[in-house]
Amino acid sequence: MDTGIASPRLRIAVALTVNGRRVSAEVEPRMHLGDFLREQLNLTGTHLGCEQGVCGACTVLVDGTPQRSCIAYAVECDGAQVTTIEGFDADPTMAALREAFAAHHGLQCGFCTPGMLIASRDIVLRLGDVPETRIREELSGNLCRCTGYVGIVEAVAAVAAGREPAADAAAVPVQARVAAPADASVAPASVAAAPAALAAGGAGIAQTIALGVSADAAWAVLSDPRAVAACLPGAELTALEGEAVSGVVRVALGPIKVALAGQGSITLDQAARSGVLVGRGRDGGTGSSAEGEVRWQVVPRGEAASELRVELSWRLSGALAQFSRGAVVEGLVRRLAADFAANLEARVAGQAPPAAQRELGLLALIWAVIKARLFR
Amino acid sequence: MKPVAFDYVRARTLEEASEMLAAGGGAARLLAGGQSLGPMLNLRLARPMRLVDIKRADGFRALAADDATLSIGAGFTHAEIEDGAVEDPARGLLRHVARGIAYRAVRNRGTIGGSLAHADPAADWVSVFAALDGVAVARSARGTRRIASGAFLRGAFATALADDEVLAAVELPLLSAGARWAYRKVCRKTGEFASAIGVVVLDPARGLARVVAGAVEAAPVLLPATSEALRDHGPDAAEAALAEEIARLLPHLDPAARRLRMVAVRSALRDIAGEG
Ligand SMILES: Cc1cc2nc3c(=O)[nH]c(=O)nc-3n(C[C@H](O)[C@H](O)[C@H](O)COP(=O)(O)OP(=O)(O)OC[C@H]3O[C@@H](n4cnc5c(N)ncnc54)[C@H](O)[C@@H]3O)c2cc1C
Ligand code: FES
Ligand code: FES
Repeated sequence: MDTGIASPRLRIAVALTVNGRRVSAEVEPRMHLGDFLREQLNLTGTHLGCEQGVCGACTVLVDGTPQRSCIAYAVECDGAQVTTIEGFDADPTMAALREAFAAHHGLQCGFCTPGMLIASRDIVLRLGDVPETRIREELSGNLCRCTGYVGIVEAVAAVAAGREPAADAAAVPVQARVAAPADASVAPASVAAAPAALAAGGAGIAQTIALGVSADAAWAVLSDPRAVAACLPGAELTALEGEAVSGVVRVALGPIKVALAGQGSITLDQAARSGVLVGRGRDGGTGSSAEGEVRWQVVPRGEAASELRVELSWRLSGALAQFSRGAVVEGLVRRLAADFAANLEARVAGQAPPAAQRELGLLALIWAVIKARLFR
Repeated sequence: MKPVAFDYVRARTLEEASEMLAAGGGAARLLAGGQSLGPMLNLRLARPMRLVDIKRADGFRALAADDATLSIGAGFTHAEIEDGAVEDPARGLLRHVARGIAYRAVRNRGTIGGSLAHADPAADWVSVFAALDGVAVARSARGTRRIASGAFLRGAFATALADDEVLAAVELPLLSAGARWAYRKVCRKTGEFASAIGVVVLDPARGLARVVAGAVEAAPVLLPATSEALRDHGPDAAEAALAEEIARLLPHLDPAARRLRMVAVRSALRDIAGEG
């Protein structure tokens, strides 16, 4: 692939203000703000728990509002004002919260406390005196592994008592909308390949696809591993020896791209017009692996038509599995299955498969399409 | 934990961002709030070679309105919508929804455009965009194109945006004074992604009645028969049409998942009925 991108620059200069002090530094673009504060500025009061935005331990103020320092990169913060837990010595609200956390036993090990205090200060200043339910709702993004929530909520309520909420945010000015800025001549261009994802744990689906070709014609293709692979967008067969196959299956899931390289075996039953592919593959980059099984069978439906029955089961492990939910994107599978059927029909009829479909991660049919999502 | 090394550039305009994407040949990725991309980078699930930061690009954070439509720059954050700094074209629906997205510290960075472009089927803006039948404004060095919600949302994590296109703004209808809406997000913990979403928008003056089942593992599903019943005969008639339509349009969900969507939409319809 010609990416036009030479190797990434190692360091980029940034200048920001941290706790009132001007700081200039050269940072790796991939360094997140939390690491920058801790490792380069020795401000270790900012704690890192999950590093995926969930736990809130790393919360700091960026330009006056609480933000996660683990999912903001230091390069992005060029010119920003950052305040860490070390920067509140002269802040009266924080002083009151510190007292209240002590009085109400709002901390045990203290790991969550820097993030809790910064989130709590925001609640007190922004919302003022609100009911306990609202305090709990607002604190839901800060996890305390010592589970000392009762004390924390009491402390915040004590400091918030009698306070006024902040004034309404200034409204962004609204300009006059000029008639549709559309340029109808802009072609949709190549639409990004539809993502196929992988399921967590073990999962499976069964699918029946109607084919507009005879069972024998369909089987001629479906009994040839190379032909099957050619109908599977995203799949590439690198070797075939007897029953042993190796290949690569490429899938994209939003910004996640995986190339599962692996081996498998194909067993065919000519009489029953059925086949079984068992395989496993690994993606070095994400350290994820998948194993799965596909069973397919062609059943005649009259002279010139047939039905393809496909059963898929798969299992994911590694980083990708952490992000995946068990639920299958059935809609996507059906779309991919339709593309597979179209490719198959085209192939049987001796035509080249439609180009656009070649990109689809049809491995969907093999490893299946799943749906991955953060934090499930 | 460290992401794979990447380069970082800041785009001054959205056209420039588009050129940078095209030059990156698939290895460059836009960065808006980073609240979906960041976790994926940190876990090395996403491994782009270059991030193109559009946060500060010209025109990314503008509001423009005429009599019928409000165009919201893609770069506004969930928190700015929650606080009402961004005018709410849907008479409170957007503010209500924004407050239920993630947590304040995430809302202070995450953008409405990033959420729609990411197209997580369980994301809140995805369902709202479908229910309001919004229009996505896609900008590239080649020009600007407007894409209706139904064509924009193609499936789980899939949109109609081309590789060199940036979502510049979302256009939403300005609902009239008599309009009503209801939003139900089913999740176990505050701030989580939804397990099911039900959205109802009813604006008789605009002839708008849309009932949407969201978080269905694919693009949100508009329920036309239920919507029509709502428009012509009210919420009770809509509820009567609901079960059959959910069963017909979401046959692939397992029964429990289907029931959850049913309950989300039904609750939203009852909210509307309760107000009427
Ligand atoms: C702990 C946590 C909980 C969350 N809970 C919820 C929730 O309950 N509901 C919910 O809806 N969301 C939730 N989110 C996601 C959050 O709303 C994100 O802010 C949002 O999904 C992405 O917006 P962003 O600006 O951060 O985009 P980014 O992370 O910067 O980008 C996301 C993707 O979209 C692309 N992109 C960004 N902007 C554009 C653009 N203008 N044009 C084209 N492509 C673009 C990027 O290249 C990337 O692939 C949660 C996030 C976290 C960390
Ligand atoms: S470390 Fe940042 S949210 Fe957990
Ligand atoms: S006090 Fe230990 S994590 Fe909260």
